Amino acid sequence: MSAAKRSLLARALDDRIFVAVTSAVATVLLAAAAWPGLSDYRANIVGQLACFALLAVALDLIWGYAGILSLGHGLFFAIGGYVAGMHLLEHSVAVTGITPDIVQFMGWKALPGWWGPLESFPVALAAALGVAFVVAFLFGWVSFRSRVGGVYFAIITQALTYVAMLLMFRNDTGFGGNNGMTGFQAIFGVPFQSPGVARGLAVASLASLVAALVGCRLLTIGRFGRLLVATRDDEVRLRSLGYETLRLKLAVWCVSAVLAAVAGLLYAPQVGIINPRVLSPDLSIEIAVWCAIGGRGRLAGAVIGAALVNALKFSLSATLPDLWPFVLAGLVILVALIFPNGLLDIGRWRPTLLSRAGALQPRDATP
Amino acid sequence: MRWRGVLAGLIAVVAACSPAAALDRASVAARACGGASGMTDAANAMVASLPDASVEDARWVATFSNAAIERTLRCGAGAPTIAAPEGARDAASLRPGAPADGSPPLLSLKNRPLFETVRAAATLLAGPTAAERAGALTALERRAGSLPPELFERAAEAETDPALKERVLGVGQAALLNSPDMAKRLAAIQRIAATPDRRALTQIAALKGDPAYGEDPAFRAAVDAAVGSIERWLAVSNALNVFYNGLSFASILFMASAGLAIIFGLMGVINLAQGEFIMIGAYVAYAVQEAMRAAAPGLLDWYLIAAIPVVFLVTAGVGIAVEATIVRRLYTRPLMTLLATWAVSLLIVNLVRVAIGTQNLQFVTPSYISGGRLVTGDFIVTWNRLFAIVFAAVTLALTWFVLKKTPLGLNIRAVTQNRAMAGCVGIATRRVDMMAFGFGSGLAGLAGLALCPIYSVNPQMGSNFIVDSFMVVVLGGVGTLAGTVIAALGVGQINVLIEPLYGAVAAKVIVLLMIIAFLQWRPEGLYAVKGRRK
Repeated sequence: MSAAKRSLLARALDDRIFVAVTSAVATVLLAAAAWPGLSDYRANIVGQLACFALLAVALDLIWGYAGILSLGHGLFFAIGGYVAGMHLLEHSVAVTGITPDIVQFMGWKALPGWWGPLESFPVALAAALGVAFVVAFLFGWVSFRSRVGGVYFAIITQALTYVAMLLMFRNDTGFGGNNGMTGFQAIFGVPFQSPGVARGLAVASLASLVAALVGCRLLTIGRFGRLLVATRDDEVRLRSLGYETLRLKLAVWCVSAVLAAVAGLLYAPQVGIINPRVLSPDLSIEIAVWCAIGGRGRLAGAVIGAALVNALKFSLSATLPDLWPFVLAGLVILVALIFPNGLLDIGRWRPTLLSRAGALQPRDATP
Repeated sequence: MRWRGVLAGLIAVVAACSPAAALDRASVAARACGGASGMTDAANAMVASLPDASVEDARWVATFSNAAIERTLRCGAGAPTIAAPEGARDAASLRPGAPADGSPPLLSLKNRPLFETVRAAATLLAGPTAAERAGALTALERRAGSLPPELFERAAEAETDPALKERVLGVGQAALLNSPDMAKRLAAIQRIAATPDRRALTQIAALKGDPAYGEDPAFRAAVDAAVGSIERWLAVSNALNVFYNGLSFASILFMASAGLAIIFGLMGVINLAQGEFIMIGAYVAYAVQEAMRAAAPGLLDWYLIAAIPVVFLVTAGVGIAVEATIVRRLYTRPLMTLLATWAVSLLIVNLVRVAIGTQNLQFVTPSYISGGRLVTGDFIVTWNRLFAIVFAAVTLALTWFVLKKTPLGLNIRAVTQNRAMAGCVGIATRRVDMMAFGFGSGLAGLAGLALCPIYSVNPQMGSNFIVDSFMVVVLGGVGTLAGTVIAALGVGQINVLIEPLYGAVAAKVIVLLMIIAFLQWRPEGLYAVKGRRK
């Protein structure tokens, strides 16, 4: 028993890139917690990058390991974000007593009564994770039960997010419509402007990222992870061997959705707004792009891809906003054609013409 | 409508043969100077005379009533006169030279609308320009019931402007509705009910407040029957409207998704740039329009037709280029293809945005697709939507022909069913992929062409259709055109059917839920090619 455990931990350290990336994130975490020179602005950027990395890890778990591409992870991200928004609004009213703008432009007298319990953070946390879990479970169950997979699953999840976006854009859905939720005043009783809030949120995001990385690594190197990879590579054979892949896929799908909701929960207070744009199909595709650029099926790749792409996006959209879409499109095509396993493979690349024998080959047969 | 012409002809004949019915101008002018009750008499006499009056008399009535309203009429010791800057004229003969003495008669609150009606009625008959007559008709519309219906028949007979003539006839029917003659009223109700639209419904429903509705059972029955019949026809035309709009939406969806379905069936790849191929199609159509404007302005009207081959070839070319450079290198990785084609779509949208701009393109609406034809009630077959429907039907026929009757189609079907076996018997599967990708892209371009007269064309337009076309592909399954056609019709009709009831967003939500539910029953779409389930 203890030998098996030790070997699991030992195996967790086998992937040197994973160890390097996780230690790097942990170092940044320590720096964010202790380094006095960190400005709030930089802390905020680091925190946002950590949220995106967490989102990418969530997607990598399902796409990289189980081979199920979801183009709808923005939905779970938004669930976390909106619950955080409701919690922060209720909390701001409780702390400052100022009526938030949303009450005015929605034509309400006060915040809806059923938001009340969300003022307590544990309730809000449970609500965010619970709603994400239930939505993921229901949708996953109907989809996997009828063995919808591959490209079909990808475009149905995309349609799901798209429809959710249309719904949230409407004012009478009751979540702020086009404007979303903004004007958060306080978090855990502390005003947002006070020093240390940005830093605290960044630390929380980085800590969640490290926890998610370690947790997912342990999840994927064990028996469960092996079955996931088997599902990805040949589901029919696994079923013939007597494994029920429905439960397997459903489990990893729900874990992934809950992780995405955590990312959203951390993201909303850092940007100070949550609106239906996080549900746009483009954002959900971008999450997959981060994973693909970094390298799928190796949690570290998701972190590298998300951090790299978003850091590039932050710096370019400040200086050359028109250039960004071209850079992104170019990166995706480059990765698709030359680095089938993402930029983690860059060390093995040799200059060859496309489709020559020396070109890099994808590690997994499908998909 | 022939009877109406005959009747009007008869009236014209009668009027021509009996100049005896001419108006006694002097007596009317004298009465107008006889106080408030005299003025009422004068107005009534003028109204009564108008249906049979000669054109000169009608002109005189217009001039005289105008003088009374504008206070240029002078009632003095002698004959009444009309004051004018160049000198007074005799009110009855309009001859100049009469002495202008006396004061304008007071037009009472009751008499003013009466005189205004008289002036408008006379102008309708004898006004020199169509604009004046149209203005007079507008003034008369509300008071039509107080005027003799023959007046409108005569005005309609003499009217030269066809649109105005229709209006005059319509107002004339409303005049008959309030005719004192019950038989004429009943006839008018029936005739109005024969053109069932909202206006007719309000006109006839208003009669329920008429005293005769309570007193005369025949009248009551006629009104009720007319209201019922109009409401029935309105319901029918409403249903037709929904069906027609759904059909045109479905046509666009079909064209947008036929290419997707063929490519998906063949290569297992969803092309996320399909929406951008639609956009390219619309932009190429615009380029053709501008080229024709410069080279052959006389043929500008036909740019939409001339653009068809150009659009198809250009978008097919772009599709083949995308296939050759990107898609074919990813053929075992459909999910990676999804991302790569998304990148292509991002690239195309932003190229167009930077090179051409984000504003909507302005299209000339060719004469053959502008306007429409009123079929029944308020159901109008608009030519631009009909163009999209016919265009989609022709595209469907051609696609069917290509898939079933040409060597390329045979190869596409063979590779779709069993790629390895098709390769074994010597089909160049890679080449088939490329041609099919080009063909599918060309179809998307044609969808863009059909969209130009209906929707706004800008770099973002593709994204509005892409999710709906995915749903069509998922619902229809791959491998057969029939599945795509039925799914497009279903998604199009359901969208349009639900939209007026619960709104466009709810329509999309319901369609998505229905598709998810449907996949429980048939996970591979309506018409999946039979085979081993993976």
